[in-house]
Amino acid sequence: MACQGLQSGETLASLKKESDSLKKKLEEERGKLNDIELHQVAEKVEMLGALSIKTKRLLKGHGNKVLCMDWCKDKRRLVSSSQDGKVIVWDAFTLNKEHGVTLPCTWVMACAYAPSGCAVACGGLDNKCSVFPLSLDKNENLSAKKKAVAMHTNYVSGCTFTNSDMQLLTSSGDGTCALWDVESGQLLQSFHGHTADVLSLDLAPSETGNTFVSGGSDKKANVWDMRSGQNIQSFESHESDINCVKYYPSGDAFASASDDSTCRFYDLRADREVAVYQKDSVIFGASTVDFSLSGRLLFAGYNDYTINVWDVLKGTRVSVLFGHENRVSRVRVSPDGTALCSASWDNTLRIWA
Amino acid sequence: MSGMMCSSNSVVQAQKLVDQLRLEANMERIKISLTAADLVRYCQDHRRSDPLLTGIAASSNPFKDKKTCVLL
Repeated sequence: MACQGLQSGETLASLKKESDSLKKKLEEERGKLNDIELHQVAEKVEMLGALSIKTKRLLKGHGNKVLCMDWCKDKRRLVSSSQDGKVIVWDAFTLNKEHGVTLPCTWVMACAYAPSGCAVACGGLDNKCSVFPLSLDKNENLSAKKKAVAMHTNYVSGCTFTNSDMQLLTSSGDGTCALWDVESGQLLQSFHGHTADVLSLDLAPSETGNTFVSGGSDKKANVWDMRSGQNIQSFESHESDINCVKYYPSGDAFASASDDSTCRFYDLRADREVAVYQKDSVIFGASTVDFSLSGRLLFAGYNDYTINVWDVLKGTRVSVLFGHENRVSRVRVSPDGTALCSASWDNTLRIWA
Repeated sequence: MSGMMCSSNSVVQAQKLVDQLRLEANMERIKISLTAADLVRYCQDHRRSDPLLTGIAASSNPFKDKKTCVLL
């Protein structure tokens, strides 16, 4: 038995040596491609003019911090969830509240609209992600039709339907992401690799295939193959938790928002970070990011109650959106790109256009 | 690292890390000068259909009508 222990020790040492040399090799390989900076390539691109984006709607109705929101594909409805367990479906044009459900748990950190527009998914401290069909009958009790789909061993931080209402992808404080069959609740695939809470995920635009990106408290952003469960790429350049990740519209890159007060842009084909969006005056953590339709603008919500608008290509800040009276927890551009919705700890949502 | 169980667990983990790193090291990467040009091209190709970037007329933006906020 003594010699077995010795063997393990030797193997461990040689494995450590190999992993160290591989890490070094990765750094070298990535460094070789760094022949130019993104903002240099973008030098000949015209400067952006002043943006005239203002609050056009104020959605009041939540009694507590709004933690998440998602647009419906019809470009006018949206779902939002809050700390007090309430999930509300709104018509953003009319400000009409179409549906309201109260979950038995607090901190509903994740909510998503189904592609059909006929259901919403939400989850949080209950460690589950449940799906509710949206009924046209206002009197129907939605809570009764709730179906628990995802079961994690810690809080659910993010959820999204895949290309249909049939599958749900979730991220969790238990350090994993998982793909579920909505109808049966069956776990189809689980994704292991993060060494701490996974705080966010985003599905690649449908044209680019079956991958998604996740970000977590381990400061890493991982790209996954949905079918095999394999972690295909990993990025570690943030200095603190990654709160949000979002794909660039072409699917060839993604952005991240972190507690280190920066947002970063990663090129998937070059396999490296290509831009850092930061300013000395921006010292509060960034919690959420989303791109405008063309990918030129990056909207980022911060803990200092503001939304900074960054020029993705040139790396400069274009605008600051003021209005919220507490942390901005989520920003999402509408499906047709006409508006930005922001959710905040000030209990409201704002529509900017 | 006293127990045998402890050692084999760490070995399994270390092996997983090495396998993962091998996979990542073997990835085919493309120079930034090429990939960045594609990112820029995407922005330029789609800039005219980006309402928040170009700003669209109040008449075609459903959110831009002159409606007062209703406190519900």
